[in-house]
Amino acid sequence: MERVVECRDVGRTYDDDAVPVHALRNVDFDLAAGEWVSLAGPSGSGKSTLLHVIGGLDQPTAGSVVVDGVEVTALATAQLSDLRLNKIGFVFQAYNLIPVLSALENVEFILQLQGLDRAERRSRSRDALHSLGLADVEHRRPGEMSGGQQQRVAIARAIVTEPVLLLADEPSANLDTSTTRELLEVLQTLNRERGVTILTATHDPMVMGYTSRQVNLRDGKVVRDDS
Amino acid sequence: MPVKLLIQLSWRNIWRHRRRNAILVSAIAVAVTGVMLLNTMMRGMQQDLRNTAIENLTGHVKILEPGYLHDPGIERGFDILEGWQNTLPDHVAGWASRIRVPGVIMSERGTRGIQLVGIDPARESISFLGQAEVAGDRLSGPEDSRILIGGLLAEALDTAAGRRLVLVTQGADGRTREAGFRIAGVYRAEIAGLEKAFVFTGLAALQRLLGTDKITEISIRLDDEDRETSTIAALAETFESRAVASWRQLEPQAAAMVEVSDVTIYILFVIVMGALTFGLVNTLVTAVMERLRELGMLRAIGMRPRAVVAQVVVESTVIMAIGVAAGLILAWCVFSFVADGIDLTAFDDSLASFGMRPTFVPVFDIRDVALIAVLSLALSILASFYPARRAVKIKPLEALRR
Ligand SMILES: Nc1ncnc2c1ncn2[C@@H]1O[C@H](COP(=O)(O)OP(=O)(O)OP(=O)(O)O)[C@@H](O)[C@H]1O
Ligand SMILES: [Mg+2]
Repeated sequence: MERVVECRDVGRTYDDDAVPVHALRNVDFDLAAGEWVSLAGPSGSGKSTLLHVIGGLDQPTAGSVVVDGVEVTALATAQLSDLRLNKIGFVFQAYNLIPVLSALENVEFILQLQGLDRAERRSRSRDALHSLGLADVEHRRPGEMSGGQQQRVAIARAIVTEPVLLLADEPSANLDTSTTRELLEVLQTLNRERGVTILTATHDPMVMGYTSRQVNLRDGKVVRDDS
Repeated sequence: MPVKLLIQLSWRNIWRHRRRNAILVSAIAVAVTGVMLLNTMMRGMQQDLRNTAIENLTGHVKILEPGYLHDPGIERGFDILEGWQNTLPDHVAGWASRIRVPGVIMSERGTRGIQLVGIDPARESISFLGQAEVAGDRLSGPEDSRILIGGLLAEALDTAAGRRLVLVTQGADGRTREAGFRIAGVYRAEIAGLEKAFVFTGLAALQRLLGTDKITEISIRLDDEDRETSTIAALAETFESRAVASWRQLEPQAAAMVEVSDVTIYILFVIVMGALTFGLVNTLVTAVMERLRELGMLRAIGMRPRAVVAQVVVESTVIMAIGVAAGLILAWCVFSFVADGIDLTAFDDSLASFGMRPTFVPVFDIRDVALIAVLSLALSILASFYPARRAVKIKPLEALRR
């Protein structure tokens, strides 16, 4: 199968402090198109760091990271911005949305960054919101929506650009059980029906129940990969 | 990133903190109103100074014999060539040739030094005399050998229209001329000083008395002040051997005051708006710090650093633009109440010594509006430098981790 992500011998060391912190050590990790993988592991095990390195938000200090055929470690700041804009969809734990824009405008925003024309932006953003059951709230601003709705809008924004990879770091951390379930159903539909490749980092066992594969990290190392 | 989107975002963000921004915008508006109104006063004063300088027999341009300015007198007269007026350049509203000599005027009550000016009354619409109120008769033409004197001089000499006065001056041959003149009328001038300075009579009549057919000056008024320089250059060609002097050279004091007030307008603007720029910087830094997470998230999803800078600059410009627009509108409203002029008769004496008229007319100059708009745009961009630097320094990861 086509590989969306290839991590080889990836290391990320923080040495700003007296004692260097090895957030990632010799990580080999691949992600095939259409997979939904969850990164698991205790707090501080390096889940977020790996997600950030793959998403071009952080640069590894060792090894190579190839996303959709592009060596991420070789890219300059502006190229990394473009990689994130065009190839990756991000859903963070919180503060995903621009507070002064409505749900629809938030989704449209990323297409505006891509320079799409108005008509196409509108119809694609509407489609994305509607497919996630958000037709009713498209004119509400983030402050006027529930946490679950906000996270679904964030997912709509992340997929509206049709990225090769959707990265979600603790997307359900601020949600209650039933809202989390709704969110996971949405991701499952995207994964199964539209073939969106997803990588989630989470502590939440419920999330792991939905994913096709689970990778465990401990002290920055891959300790289990149940593929 | 499209500018429209940037403006829309800034607009909403400004509204998000409407109280804070309303205070800043009001401060900018009040400052702009104040500066603009002061400008209208300054411009009014400048125009007053200029008009006064031009109307007190100077005109925009004057043609003289070289050396006349330093040592005026009949020996520095010149001949006018037949048909010279056909060579006048465009933009000339009118001209008047005159002979002007120093003289002494006497009555039983006293003696005063004056400028005796021979004129063609029909041509004097270009000077203050054209509009001046006259008690008695005006001069009928260049042949009229009566005189026209100012109101204050008439009071000082205790005389009136119809009475006679004796004038002493020097003729072309260097000998003293003394002659009696009948007063045709007594004129009133807005600038009191003029009434004491000038005594008018017919040009031909005065030439006859002095024994000459020369004149000492041609005063020219333009209909387009902006063409002053080019017109002077054209006149200098026509009157090769004569001195062509602008009102700025002839009335250096007034010209200097006009220039000084020009500079004052800039200084005033920079001081007032400069202070507000610090307020703007402060607001923008606050706005950036409040939006750390949001800006970090935007960078994370692929917004380029350049767009972050643009966002801060646009926000700064939008705040400034609203304040400036409101200020200019307010200034215009206040101005339209006083546009017809402010009566300053109560201060007449002290103002007259500055060469100002009793009714002060402010001038709302569209160029000042443009100046304020451009300068404040520049200031708002300047103000956004530091906040924008702060904003681009935000690392998406650090912002997200908070
Ligand atoms: N900017 C940083 N400076 C220093 N150390 C850091 C920095 N960011 C992360 N680390 C360290 O790297 C290690 C991995 O962190 P990371 O955030 O990837 O863990 P995580 O698995 O996502 O944890 P959690 O489940 O709590 O989110 C931790 O020990 C953390 O303290
Ligand atoms: Mg984490």
